[in-house]
Amino acid sequence: MEEILRIFPLEVKNYLAAHIGNRWDKLEEIRFRLHQPIELIFEDRVEWMDHFVPKRETGTYLVNQLSEYSLYRMENELREGYITIEGGHRVGIAGKVNTVSGSVQAIQNITFFNIRIARQKLGVAEPFLPYILEKNYLNTLIIGPPQSGKTTLIRDIVRIISSGWKHEPARKVAVIDERSEIGASIQGIPQHDLGLRTDVMDACPKAEGMMMMIRSMSPEVMVVDEIGGKKDVDALSEAIHSGVTIICSIHGSSLETIKNRPLVKYMLQSDMFKRFIVLGKRSVFKQRIQIYDESGHKIKTFGDGWT
Amino acid sequence: MKWIGALFLIIASTSIGLYISNQFEKRPKHIRQLESALQLLEAEITYSQIPLQMAFERIAAHLPHPMKEFFSALSEEMAREKDFMEVWNREVDRLAVWTSLKTNEIEIMRQFGNSLGQHDIIQQQKQIRLALTHLNREMEEARDEHYKYSKLARSLGVLLGVFLAILLV
Repeated sequence: MEEILRIFPLEVKNYLAAHIGNRWDKLEEIRFRLHQPIELIFEDRVEWMDHFVPKRETGTYLVNQLSEYSLYRMENELREGYITIEGGHRVGIAGKVNTVSGSVQAIQNITFFNIRIARQKLGVAEPFLPYILEKNYLNTLIIGPPQSGKTTLIRDIVRIISSGWKHEPARKVAVIDERSEIGASIQGIPQHDLGLRTDVMDACPKAEGMMMMIRSMSPEVMVVDEIGGKKDVDALSEAIHSGVTIICSIHGSSLETIKNRPLVKYMLQSDMFKRFIVLGKRSVFKQRIQIYDESGHKIKTFGDGWT
Repeated sequence: MKWIGALFLIIASTSIGLYISNQFEKRPKHIRQLESALQLLEAEITYSQIPLQMAFERIAAHLPHPMKEFFSALSEEMAREKDFMEVWNREVDRLAVWTSLKTNEIEIMRQFGNSLGQHDIIQQQKQIRLALTHLNREMEEARDEHYKYSKLARSLGVLLGVFLAILLV
């Protein structure tokens, strides 16, 4: 976990390394707030490092390490409020916000850091793939509340489809990664394993990105995260009509609740999707995952599938 | 024997004169190089938006000696060490030794280093412009001095040597 430790000054780094020890695989977040003790969030518990309280200089050090002493490159990151570092980890930031005519321009005086440790869960999508495949891959919508693992699942689907599995040949996959969450790219290079035949359009608005990819990269499968607006839906149906398989995710807790949203209603009525994977709330050990077909019949339920 | 001694004296004195004159001559040249280096840096920062370390490496490729060494050393040291300010100050100190730059320019560079990488693009650009303006002022002064003292130092060296030789022989 050197890529996370390296952003801390030596004294904090040693404390952290000693405190975490060999529990890196359980660690989810490191929360670093100026003038407050550092908080470590593990899967099952929260711990505090009471003996070290970061000061302004430590914060500056962190910012400098995150930006490689090149804050001028971070314009987007400072506006979006997160910085992706090597290994696909995310550092969320908060502080004082500068606005220009009402919209956020940059975060200044960064005071709060949330280092989210990314762990790619290779193989989580394996049990579901047989259900979204019928000669070709089927248009699939993944539905789940926040923190339910939509992105993790979608990432693994990308990896498996684009590298092939069992007798399935690898397909050309195009990923439009508007929020850089699927690939966590740095300078265009995905930090997560997305398979052999994947092309990533990083930080690109979804609707435009989809059209660009169709025109230029001839994808067989296209993957987008968290669709929302009208433009996204239009681009989706355009893509589907041009013969590309779409796999995408959306916020929501069940098939019934999202049906009430007008855009989703439209998508369902026009039979764009053939499969729905509904992710339940995730607890430490259990998660219920259901798969529906286009007419809304449940095909399969995974009680405690993956954790 | 006497004559050989006198000859050495004249040669030594002339060389010192030439060295001083050379310093006057090189200062504007080195300031000019520094200026073009900062302009390159500005372009790398505003257009390519690459990290400083990479920017230094690219700039080094475009510059002649001794600025080349300065920037490539910066880039190498940054890869090795974490504290940029320390690296910058150390390399600026070395620059002062290896070039004909005077304290004023060195001080400008030191100040400039403080701002490097701490601001967004627009602020950073302003800082570079500011450093360039300061350097420009030094440049004028250095040119003046060059015209005034460069020849003077050279001839003074020769003459002083001859004078001492005559006095002692």
